Amino acid sequence: MSLSPRDLKQLFRRLLLIRRFEEEAFRLAVAGKFANYHGGMGQEAIPAGVCYGLKPTDNTMITHRGLGVLLTRGVPVGEIFAGLYAKASCPTRGRHPIFHMAAPDLGILAGTTMVGSVIPLATGAALAARIQGTSDVTISFFGDGSVNRGDFHEGINLGAVRKLPIVYFCENNFYAKSMPLEASTAGGSIISRAQGYGLPGEVVDGNDVVAVYEATQRAVARARAGEGPTLIECLTYRWTPHSTAGDREFARTDEELEAWKAKCPILRLRQQLIEAGHASAEELDAVDVEIRHEVAAGVEFAEAAPYAAPEVALENVYL
Amino acid sequence: MARMSYAEALNEAHCIAMRDDSRVFTLGEDIGEYGGIYRVTKGLQAEFGEQRVLDTPISEIAITGAAVGAALVGSRPILEIGFVDFVGTCWDQVFNQAAKFSYMTDGRASVPLVIRMACGAGLGYGVHHSQSLEAWFTHVPGLKVVMPATPADAKGLMLAAIDDPNPVVFLEHKFLYEVKDEVPDGRYTVPLGKARVAREGGDVTIVSWSGAVPWALKAAEQAAAEGIECEVLDLRSLVPLDEDAIVASVEKTGRLIVCHEACTTGGFGAEVVARVVARAFDFLDSEPLRVAAPDIPVPNSLALEAVYLGTRERLLEAVRGIVS
Repeated sequence: MSLSPRDLKQLFRRLLLIRRFEEEAFRLAVAGKFANYHGGMGQEAIPAGVCYGLKPTDNTMITHRGLGVLLTRGVPVGEIFAGLYAKASCPTRGRHPIFHMAAPDLGILAGTTMVGSVIPLATGAALAARIQGTSDVTISFFGDGSVNRGDFHEGINLGAVRKLPIVYFCENNFYAKSMPLEASTAGGSIISRAQGYGLPGEVVDGNDVVAVYEATQRAVARARAGEGPTLIECLTYRWTPHSTAGDREFARTDEELEAWKAKCPILRLRQQLIEAGHASAEELDAVDVEIRHEVAAGVEFAEAAPYAAPEVALENVYL
Repeated sequence: MARMSYAEALNEAHCIAMRDDSRVFTLGEDIGEYGGIYRVTKGLQAEFGEQRVLDTPISEIAITGAAVGAALVGSRPILEIGFVDFVGTCWDQVFNQAAKFSYMTDGRASVPLVIRMACGAGLGYGVHHSQSLEAWFTHVPGLKVVMPATPADAKGLMLAAIDDPNPVVFLEHKFLYEVKDEVPDGRYTVPLGKARVAREGGDVTIVSWSGAVPWALKAAEQAAAEGIECEVLDLRSLVPLDEDAIVASVEKTGRLIVCHEACTTGGFGAEVVARVVARAFDFLDSEPLRVAAPDIPVPNSLALEAVYLGTRERLLEAVRGIVS
């Protein structure tokens, strides 16, 4: 379970890929290239750390800030950009926002627009794994904005009462759009709810990719061993507004943002790698150059891609 | 052939599907040892075990979402929600999630799920246990909507619904559960989207489904005594809709009455009338009629519920009126 220098460099690469992708997607959305973008900048350690140790057949269900999961589980960058542009060359062919796309072959079962609705769905995937007798584990991602929906309560209750192989993974970035956590969530704590369901709960520094990886691995091991779900609460912060659709978020202050930027998950791992002598600054800079090229090529691919033909709108309503 | 009730026929369909396909499982509230409110799942847990016949908490969001999630990863769940009236508690999981996956994913993912719900009035159950909400589901592309009227169809349509790769809303009329009739042995399917001519006739077409089919047959029998021959069409499924069968019958009779138990406004009868007007207007000898419930919630006392169910009596009058 402990990570080798090679693993750490792999994680660094994934973190950086998500960051460069996030920067570019945000820039393009602000420039009006596509309708909207729900950025996950600042939260990269979560998708990178959670997905690193998963089996390809383990299932993930994502949030509207879940493109990092797509990137780390192998959806090509160009296809994701094509999805943002709603072009024909993405897996949804422009039928549905890329934020909730599915790639069943890569263990991505899709997300949903209604925050928290994935929790019962993911619980069902875990239920099926139990019935089918596989060792697959499901990761249900959701944000702090989901925890006051009935889906959160009902889904986790069902998973807990049946001890299903699932990890309930809360990305707490402290704001649901503009709504601060303390103004929306009775009891003031998400993790304390684990106790109510009789589940182990763990609070993790969501900007420390190694901590995220390790906490996930502990929870996944429990789930695989038939010991039931874990609730993990990752503390993090998004650096950009909820979306690029003109959101104004008065409660979020510049001081708060700067304090979180100082905890940048990528800079932290970079320093760690250099200080431990696992990599040189030059080596990591070269990775960055390579990733910037990959991201630029992805944008180019999406820009050049066609829109789907009108008849596509009529297809696959039913199988 | 064996004589059995609608509920027993549904139970047999479950047994056949679960024996033939290990991916099929069923979940719902009190469906295990208790056997479900209507005994449709009676004895299944003893044969197939607790993992495949799952008693769940009263938690419709969780169990509906879980059924959809299980279907996404290759299981073929049959979900029981005791009363269609309860679907409001988990509606998002039905119409936003189950119904959309095929479209959202461009066919990469599918939801082969059957959601069984009891509908209909007649037992004095009141406003939250008696509604006929089929029109809601027909308005959601991605869902199929099945409403059997006979034990034989209940079994054959259920087996077809389980085989279907799409989410199927399977509405069982609670007044029909104890109705007995001949049911073929073994596995057979009744295809979705094929209407049944329940009675032939040349004067008036009565289109109906589910609990309204027996009303239509009774009215047809009474009308026959007066020399009016009604053709009774049992749609079996509303989505897919056997529009050709409806049109063919109207072309023969020249008169259309749609009879359903649900409220009139926004009921599926309006859709049937619109389709017929669009395709067979020139064949119509008189204006098409809807005979359906008044726009009221379903009252509790049998005396008041009879007002809601007045369709039964008004149907014969409508038949007389349309030929005069």
